[in-house]
Amino acid sequence: MFITATASSVVGLAASEGAKMPLIPHIPELIFGLVMFGILYAVVAKKVVPNLEKAYAERTAAIEGGMKQAEEAQAAAAAAKEQYEAQLAEARAEAARIREDARAQGAEIVAEMRGQAQAEASRITESAHKQIEADRQQASHSLRADVGRLSTDLASRIVGESLHDEARQKGIIDRFLAELEAGDIRPEKVGADAPAGQDA
Amino acid sequence: MTGNLSLVGYGLSAIGPAIAVGLIFAAYINGVARQPEARNLLQPIAILGFALAEALAIFGLVLFFIK
Amino acid sequence: MSLTALAASITSLPAAEGGEGFQPPTTDIFWLPLFGKGDWAITEQMVWGAIVTAFLVIMLLALSKRAAVIPSKGQWMLEGLYNFVRNGVARDMIGTREFLKFVPLLFTFFTLILFNNLMGIFPLAMNPVTGKIGFPIAFTLVVYAVYHWIGIKRMGLGGYFKHMVPEGLPGWIVPFVGLLEFITYFITRPLTLALRLFGNMFAGHMVITLFVSAAAYQLLDGGAALKALSIPTGLMAAIMVLFEALVQFLQAYVFTLLAASYIAGALADHGDEH
Repeated sequence: MFITATASSVVGLAASEGAKMPLIPHIPELIFGLVMFGILYAVVAKKVVPNLEKAYAERTAAIEGGMKQAEEAQAAAAAAKEQYEAQLAEARAEAARIREDARAQGAEIVAEMRGQAQAEASRITESAHKQIEADRQQASHSLRADVGRLSTDLASRIVGESLHDEARQKGIIDRFLAELEAGDIRPEKVGADAPAGQDA
Repeated sequence: MTGNLSLVGYGLSAIGPAIAVGLIFAAYINGVARQPEARNLLQPIAILGFALAEALAIFGLVLFFIK
Repeated sequence: MSLTALAASITSLPAAEGGEGFQPPTTDIFWLPLFGKGDWAITEQMVWGAIVTAFLVIMLLALSKRAAVIPSKGQWMLEGLYNFVRNGVARDMIGTREFLKFVPLLFTFFTLILFNNLMGIFPLAMNPVTGKIGFPIAFTLVVYAVYHWIGIKRMGLGGYFKHMVPEGLPGWIVPFVGLLEFITYFITRPLTLALRLFGNMFAGHMVITLFVSAAAYQLLDGGAALKALSIPTGLMAAIMVLFEALVQFLQAYVFTLLAASYIAGALADHGDEH
């Protein structure tokens, strides 16, 4: 450009004066500037930058290592917590199950007891019924015998003659009682509880 | 009074780059004020613009010496 | 600045009245040959550059030699500087995929330029090494070679030129854009890169020298009013020194950033900004 052109023309002018012109490079300085740069560049490129970059890399590694360690610790803590929680949940579930079991068992026991009690009760009731029935039958038998004897005694006393003829007597009483049971004869005083007749 | 007219000329020519540099930094300050997080992005651009505007003043200085 | 303008007008008054007035510093203040003469003289800036380079080599080696996972205080400071270039410049500009290859280059540029710049406010030197255009040109030559080499290696010679022109342009405009991009890649970029660094350091040093010498002149040779004025002038010199510290850091950053952006442009598929 114009400056270079003018500068070259100025060189001719200022050559004798050496360094009067500030825009004309002093050649030793130019060369020395390159030498300075070369020396410093060699040092920086060979030593300074590699050393610092190595330190940076180590630092990054250290920080990342630390972070990794912390991450591991965190993971371990998280795992422990999870395990603990799992155990806790398990324990809770177990407790609930035991409680449920106990309740079920209790209910079962209650039901069983109730069943037993009911069975016992019904058994007792039944045996009582049976006893009663037996008693009643016994009573009815003895009553029937008594009634028969009494009525024959009564009748014989009324008739004045012994009706203790075995054959007749049996037939009469039995026929009478059968009629009574069939409802052909209305009991007026004796045998007010009619259904008892069915048990004969 | 004696002197060199190119002195005045250089003084006048420095006005342009001076205004340019002022405008560049005004824009930079505006940008950072609006978006402080863009500071690192804007700084090299502002310095670059400043250097380019300043180059004109340096040309003037050179021309002043050449006469 | 009005104060200094006033001061300048006042300083010019005695000169008009008589005797020798205030002589503002000229560009000769940068010409400091130590040994030898003429074109091959060893200059003071070269010596300071050598000292800076030696200092950087020793410090960087010492601080990074036992780089550990847990950094020492020195390593921590080095890492701050290194991270600034590595993450703030290289990774942001070039991208995470390939930036590591270019970190040594950019870190070298940044430290070398920063410390050479800082010589401008370092009390013993008080002379920015990069204020001599030879040094910025040397650094720029490296950048220039690197990004063209990367581009040509990546895309081939034809592909590299083709990539300079954005795709999808109408046919008639391609030659113009191509020419413009060609100028950008081969002339504007290296020129601005070198001249920006040089110009900033040069002008900054000139301004500081101007204020300091003006304050000294006012204090030593001026009348009562001028002696009083030397205080704000000296103050201004101090402020300019602080400002220069900022500029010196900024220019090292800008140089590295632009170098990274040129490299990124040569790596990428599309034409980047300048």
